[in-house]
Amino acid sequence: MNPVFVIAGYVLREAASRKFILAFMVGLTLVLATVAFSLKLEVVDGALAATRLFGEVVRANIVSVDVALRPIFRAAAYLVFYGGILFGIVACSDFAPGLLSPGRIEHLLALPLQRWHLLAGTFLGVMTLALGGTVYAAGGLTLIFGVKTGYWTVGPLIAGAMACVGFAAVYAVMLTTATLVRSAALCSAAGFVLLVCGILAGFRADVSRYLEPGVGRASFDAVTLVLPRLSALAVGAADLASSTPLAPGSLGMLLGGVLVFGLGSLAVGFWHFEGKDC
Amino acid sequence: MDSRRRRKVWLGGALLLFAVAAFLMFTGQADGDRPSAPEVNFPSRMSGPDFARAEKRRTWVMPTLDAGVAQAPAKPRDPLLAALPRGPGRTAVVIEANALRHSPLGELLMDCLMRDGGKNLEQFKSLSGVDPFQDLDRMVITDEGLILSGDFSKARYQELLGERVSSDHGPGARVYEAGDTAMPLPDGGTRRGRMDNAVGTWNNQMLVVGRNPDEVKTVLDRMDGRGTEEGPPLLDENSTYGEMYGVLAVSQLAKLLGPGQQELAQRLVDVAQNVELHLDTSGDVAMVANVSGLDAEKMTDLGKSLGGVLSMARMKAQTEGNTDLAQLLDFAKVRPDGTSFKLELAVPLEAIQQQLAWCREDRKTVENAQPPAP
Repeated sequence: MNPVFVIAGYVLREAASRKFILAFMVGLTLVLATVAFSLKLEVVDGALAATRLFGEVVRANIVSVDVALRPIFRAAAYLVFYGGILFGIVACSDFAPGLLSPGRIEHLLALPLQRWHLLAGTFLGVMTLALGGTVYAAGGLTLIFGVKTGYWTVGPLIAGAMACVGFAAVYAVMLTTATLVRSAALCSAAGFVLLVCGILAGFRADVSRYLEPGVGRASFDAVTLVLPRLSALAVGAADLASSTPLAPGSLGMLLGGVLVFGLGSLAVGFWHFEGKDC
Repeated sequence: MDSRRRRKVWLGGALLLFAVAAFLMFTGQADGDRPSAPEVNFPSRMSGPDFARAEKRRTWVMPTLDAGVAQAPAKPRDPLLAALPRGPGRTAVVIEANALRHSPLGELLMDCLMRDGGKNLEQFKSLSGVDPFQDLDRMVITDEGLILSGDFSKARYQELLGERVSSDHGPGARVYEAGDTAMPLPDGGTRRGRMDNAVGTWNNQMLVVGRNPDEVKTVLDRMDGRGTEEGPPLLDENSTYGEMYGVLAVSQLAKLLGPGQQELAQRLVDVAQNVELHLDTSGDVAMVANVSGLDAEKMTDLGKSLGGVLSMARMKAQTEGNTDLAQLLDFAKVRPDGTSFKLELAVPLEAIQQQLAWCREDRKTVENAQPPAP
């Protein structure tokens, strides 16, 4: 088997043994189950006519079911995007430092694999975990509302996949940081910093307007040109999830850019790890 | 490949990837402003200008009988509102002619009215002395006929209606029975015709058109406080917002529904009592209808059915690729509230423009064909 998959499998087994991640999955299941069993929706000719939550009638307007579900799917998309990235930063911060820790790294390097296989395998394992969690959350929500209303959309699932791409860029930077310092805390910090910078980068045109023209603004524009525009991606994901018209520009290009940024960060990690004296 | 060469490849690859990423993100996210989502202003309450307008219209002090007992001075009222019918099952729809005329929808309607190059309008103005675009303020459609309000001081009643049997009906009011009309022509001649409607005039401010003199007199009596009908007028001053507003009898509304909606029309007649309408034409045409009834459960069911009809219309617009209409039907909603519900609906101005495009074309053709003024 390809050594990358072997390492990815190892990471997944490691994740499965962690109570933190298991608790998260159980919590997610409980939330989905609560929504499924407590929410009753009455649909008449494609319009959401009545809503009952825990048996109580919720006063709401009678509107087309997809229009009524828009804010829910939009909120879910933002929650999955930012919540997922935040949870991923915290939950996956010590996978790479653990794998590269003294004792374990010597053992792994003794195996017939190249150094970049280790990083690529860890990245793949974590991304599989992220994708699984996202599909479970977004798919569960889509399934529940689809069954209850008859309105089926792949928007939330696509939005979830976009959140995974956003997280891929963040985790690639965390992984590269792990090759520099074997510290889960610093990996997390790098992830948080990139998340914040990514949010700013998404609003770079708006933020730039408030900066004094000169070196400061030029530097900001130059740095944010390269950074992944996470907030723009989140807005696009929310628009897709709620089936609202997209902002001008190409979401595919933006998505591709964030993904390529992640691969670039990963390549920096490969470069550094290749020459590292473990 | 040895480790050193591999490192160079990784580093070179990373730089290349960052450059590609920057290019993709720069191209993918346009830095321009996001197009604003369509906004619809649904008429929901009186605004400042509406209150000011209503106050200006309080010009009529209803006469009180002097029975030797001191009475508080009567408050001035809007004579047009005082003339409206009373009681359930009646219809009175007010069109703010002046406001509508200066709205985007009014511009479109003007194109239709003037598609003959304005010849008919000019003829009407010279014959009657009334310029509908200047002198007409409001027009009310009731189940008894029409009430027009405005400044009719230049109207040539005597020339137009002088040959009919007429009588005074209270202070400032005169009622003309159906009969012949004589219109003096600019060349000195007279055009004769017959009008089957009775006409009432009041203080050069109001013109009432009814099927017979009794109906006209009923309207004038209501305004004067001499009417026999109980209760307040159909519309109260606080409901005079929008370019078009009023109360529609449910039976009338049911007739307006298309042949495919007969079941819904019947349910409307069975369940609802009356419908108060407000229409805003300051942008896209937005309508709010307050439908009230007696049975909360039946009204809720009716609201659900209407919501379903709107949802189906939206789906149809989406399927047919009519994005503008579909986007505006996103705003369509029913707000249930016990024994009543509020229906909100918008129609894009562009859709109306497309429907009335022929008027503009006709008008342009006629205007281009006319010889230039010397």
